[in-house]
Parts: sequence; structure tokens; C-alpha cells
Amino acid sequence: MKDNNIEGRLLVDQRDLKFKARDVQVYYGDNHAIKDVSVDILDKTVTAFIGPSGCGKSTFLRCLNRMNDTIPICRVEGDIQLDGEDINAPEVDPVQLRARVGMVFQKPNPFPKSIYDNIAYGPRIHGLARNKAELDEIVEQSLRRGALWDEVKDRLQEPGTGLSGGQQQRLCIARAVATHPEVLLMDEPCSALDPIATAQVEELIDELRQNFSVVIVTHSMQQAARVSQKTAFFHLGNLVEYDDTDTIFTNPQDPRTESYITGRIG
Amino acid sequence: MTDATNDPTHSGGGRKSLYVQDPRTKRRAAAEKRFRAYGIGAIATGMLFLVVLITSIVWNGIPAFTQTFITVQVALPEEKLDKSGARDLAVMKKVSTFGYAPLVDTALVAALDENGVENPYPKAKRLRALISASAAAQVRDTVLANPDLIGTTQEFRLLASSRVDGYLKGRVSRDSIARDKNIDAEHLDIIDALRTAGLVKRIFNWDFIFGADASESRPESAGIGVSMVGSLFMMLVVLGLSLPIGVAAAIYLEEFASRNRFADIVEVNISNLAAVPSIVFGILGLSIYIQLMHLPSSAPLVGGLVLTLMTLPRIIIPARAALTAVPPSIREAALGVGASKMQTVMHHVLPLAMPGILTGVIIGMAQALGETAPLLLIGMVGFIATNYPENFIEGFMSPNSAMPAQIYEWSKRADPAYYERAWGGIILLLVFLMAMNILAVLLRRRFERRW
Repeated sequence: MKDNNIEGRLLVDQRDLKFKARDVQVYYGDNHAIKDVSVDILDKTVTAFIGPSGCGKSTFLRCLNRMNDTIPICRVEGDIQLDGEDINAPEVDPVQLRARVGMVFQKPNPFPKSIYDNIAYGPRIHGLARNKAELDEIVEQSLRRGALWDEVKDRLQEPGTGLSGGQQQRLCIARAVATHPEVLLMDEPCSALDPIATAQVEELIDELRQNFSVVIVTHSMQQAARVSQKTAFFHLGNLVEYDDTDTIFTNPQDPRTESYITGRIG
Repeated sequence: MTDATNDPTHSGGGRKSLYVQDPRTKRRAAAEKRFRAYGIGAIATGMLFLVVLITSIVWNGIPAFTQTFITVQVALPEEKLDKSGARDLAVMKKVSTFGYAPLVDTALVAALDENGVENPYPKAKRLRALISASAAAQVRDTVLANPDLIGTTQEFRLLASSRVDGYLKGRVSRDSIARDKNIDAEHLDIIDALRTAGLVKRIFNWDFIFGADASESRPESAGIGVSMVGSLFMMLVVLGLSLPIGVAAAIYLEEFASRNRFADIVEVNISNLAAVPSIVFGILGLSIYIQLMHLPSSAPLVGGLVLTLMTLPRIIIPARAALTAVPPSIREAALGVGASKMQTVMHHVLPLAMPGILTGVIIGMAQALGETAPLLLIGMVGFIATNYPENFIEGFMSPNSAMPAQIYEWSKRADPAYYERAWGGIILLLVFLMAMNILAVLLRRRFERRW
């Protein structure tokens, strides 16, 4: 029923489909955190997950690259497909999945290593570069994509932890980009940043859309409105509404969505 | 806001002056003052004990680092030492220390005559109370090492006996020797005279640091060097086993093991093992390593194995704490770029936890270095460590003692000269412990700078 509902409403072109999630359930021990979530995430699109605290949007995001595997009491059910392949299939190694689905976290978390090594780490462990020159190339390209190259090109050997908060977060984005992922998951990437750094990261997200599918969890409705083309509203573990961002913010179908965006719940 | 009753506008009472403390504030201020006084008192008490400890150790132990020597000219006649004149070492070795002792006696008599010191003893042998029983062996060793000396007269610096040494250090007085059969007041007169002549001197005693233990009757020539080597080999065993095993166990428990009842049991048992008295590990080592596996007793290998058992939980616990202290965001970052669990641990978590782990390892090693009780049970106490091991393997396998065991052994012996040496040994042990702690700090700093 829900399947028909979503596909009927979105008329998704299957070629643009990146993630297809159906009836996803997440349990933390006995706590049913995500209930029957079905969603389609498109390529070359920014999808925003919004909703009040504890509504499960971050939890669902972490299902998409199986980061929930690291939490022992967490159990995920349902079908999540990346390019038509079930990511929870027993033969799937989450390591390979995460190389294709990069992640940026709430708090900037650069490795306590040099800027260069931060970017080069992913390509190194995945064997993406055959020699130093290729690796240098990847590092430069990734830092350019992370809109950080001009600021750090003269001090690549300095520790990444010495950068400002906004620079650190862009470093983390560049690090995620360096493994050539297809999807970038961002879990409230701007919540620890000041307004100027936030604006820079938002601008960057808009640029990243040309090459990647971006999924961003955010507390800020303004941010969702600014950067995303699609928006999903979560409430109490349910996906209440998923539609074009413009529609969600101007003409929400569900009364709960309307209450949230007008500031009455959340 | 929350403390509405203190707000005069709400309580209805008149506005109070800030200059006057209300009783409640006074009580709180007094409580804080009392607590500060307790704290200062506690620290002062601790410092006092530390000062007393260090002072007494230094006061008692420093004399062990100097030793009294008597300089004499010893004639080395060919007819006594090498009748054939062929300088054949095998033949020369047949002359034992009994052959050399009279030469030393003669030299002493000559030294007294030369310096105009009155010699009350008709028999030269009585002068032997002045010098160590090892003096003749000292001369013999020199001659055998260099046979060309035969036929000449050489200057020797002979070790004085422990009574003479004690007299110079103030341990032995004319009153205290009244009932001592080893030495007479006349001997002390001779020493006083020779001292004026500049032949008796107290100099720094390297042999105490590098030498071997000696029998009960020769405290003046006992050193801690060989047992230091024993301790070194034990520490090599402890480091070589407990570092990899302890760190691997800590990593497995902290990063890989699933949280279940079994993990809980393991965890509780590790904590309990850290509190088990060390003598229990000693008897365990005795039954398993010596009685069951027939490893040589008194060997540093066995000592090291026993101390490893004791050290492991003391390394695993701080290593786990160091791993837990690495922020989870680092693990997420590594997993997020597609590192495997193993890569996450080896590339990121372990290097960050390394300073903490190393501190734990070095402190565990320092505890093991000072441990005596388990060594009692595997025969590393009471053994007189007279020889340096010949090679690396021997170092692990041949019987030896350890520094704390040697100190314990010396403290048991009757001669007060050994008491002084026990204190000196403690100084050396503390120097090593301090060196290890400084190493821990340096390593920690070095690793921290890299990140």
C-alpha cells in the first residue's frame, strides 16, 4: 500500500534512482525507532531529512551505509537497495558499501594527521592510486571539490585538527569525496559551525550535487529549503511526508508536516 | 532565580547588606576552609613521609657506593709463583690463593715498616684482618692476566676488610669492636697511621654497581651487578610477552568482543587477577613452570614468565582504558571512509591510545621490577649470583638473582656491612624505577607530538 502511495506520487524515473528503501524497520533493543519507512533517493539530487529531535532521521541515514552495524543492540529490517542491489545481503561487506556511500558527521572529525593524510587515507586503503603522483592528484581534486584547496594548498603537511571548524568540516567532506563515492550522507554537517562556515558548506553541497547524490539530515528548515530539491519529514520514527522541497514547504499534504514547518511541533 | 527564598524582594524581609555574611554563608565558608585545611594537611603528611623515606634511603645507602682500599707494594717473586720460569699459564694456575696470601702479608708488613708504623703483631698473618679475604685472589688474577709482572714489585690497591671499611664510614667504632674477634683496637691504630700516610683511601666503588654477590664473610666485595643482569633478562621476558599479549587482549576485548555474559566474566576475572597477591603467582609458577614443565629453577626465564602472569592484568586494564578514551568520532570517521574494523583499530585507534598503553606497560614493568615475593618461590632468592651469564641464552637459562631479591638477601645477612649494601641496592632500584617513569613520560610526549 505504502509502495504504491510513494511511487504513485513521485513518478520516479528508475534510471535516476540511487537508493530504494522499502518498509525499513530499525530497533534499538526493544525500542522500535524506525517504522515502515519507504523512500526513493535520486541521483544528482540533494535530499533533506527533517524532523524534530529523536524522530529517527539520523538513524535512517545511518542505515544507508550500514553505520548502524557498529551499534551492537541495533537491528535493521526491510529492504534497502543501492542501484538495485540489496545492501543488507549477507555477502555484502559494509567496507565496500561505505566506499561508495561516503559519510560526513555532525561534529567535524578529521583524523589527527596531516591534511594530506586525511584525504589520502581513503584512497590508500581502497587502492585507488597506483603511485604518489596519482595520489597527489586525488588529494588536490578532492580538496578542490571540498572548496578547501586554495586555503590549504601551502600547508598540506600541517595537522588537519589545526584548521578552523568550518575548514575541518570541509576537510571531512573532501575526505568523503576522495574515495569517489556515488552518494554522500551528511548528518547535520553544519550544526557545529558558525553562520559563515555554514554558508560555505551549503554552497559546497550545492556544487556537490553535480557529481553525487547527497542526503542531508538537518535541524534547520531554512537549510533544507536552501540546499535540497527533495525533502522527507520524519516524525516519531515514521516518514510522514516525502516530496519536492518546494511542495513540502509551501503546500504540505499532512497536517503534522504543516505543524512542524510552522513551528508548532518539534 | 531558583533560590527564591534568598531574594529579599520575595522573602519580604528587609534588604540585607552585602557586607554582612548571613549565618548560612558563614557556615559554608567555614566548611570550605576546613576542607582546604584537611587537603593541605593530607598533602603535607604525604610529603613528610616522602622526605623521611628519601632521606633515610640516601643516608643509609650512599656509603655503599664508596669502599676503602689499602695501597701496598707487593713483590711477585718468580720462585714462588712460577718455579719453571716458562710462564706457562696452566702451570702457574697451580699456585692457589694460598700461595699468594703470604706475599700480601709481607707487603703489608713492609708497608708498615716503610711508613714507620708500629707493628704490634709478630705474626704477619694477623695483619690479614685489615684486608679483604679476596685480596690474595685479586693479586693472583692480576698476575695470571699479565704473567710479565712476575719478578717485579707492583703497586696494588687492595680491598680493605669490611671492619676497616666500617671504621672509615663510622659504622665500626673502638667501643663496638670490644667483643669482635675479627679485629682488634691495634688494627685500627695501624689504619689511623696508614691513613695519615695516605695509603688508606675511601673511593667510589664501581664494583658495587657492576660486581657480583659475595659470600657471607666478604661483604666488602659484594656487588649488585649480576643480579641487575638477572633483572634485565627478566624484564626482557616480561616486555616480550606481556606487551603483545596484553595489548592484543585489550584490543580484542575493547574493540571486537561482543558484549555478553562471557565478556563480563572475562572482565571481572581480569580485574580480580590484578588484585591477586603476587606470591600466588609465585607458587603457580613453581608448580607449572618448574614442577610440570621442568624449566630450570632460579632462571630469569622462569622469573620473567611468573612476572608476566602478574603484569598482564595490570597492562590490560590501563590499555583498555586508553582505547576507550579514544573518541568514537575517530572510529566513525575511519569506518565512514570505508576502513575495515581492523584498519580502523590499527591505523587510528591504536596509535592514539599508544601513549596511554605505553604508560600502563612501563608502570606494569616497574611493578614487576620491584616484585620480590614470587621470586622467593622459584628459587631466585638465597642464590649467590657470582658470575655474569656467558651469553644471551645463558642469561635467560642460568640461575641468577634479581635486584629486589638480592636486596632482600643482603638484608637477611648478619654482617651490618650487608645492611648498608641493602640500602645502596634500594637506591639503585629506585634509580631504575625513576628512569622507567621518565622514559614513560618521554615516550608519551614523543607520541603526542606526532599527532
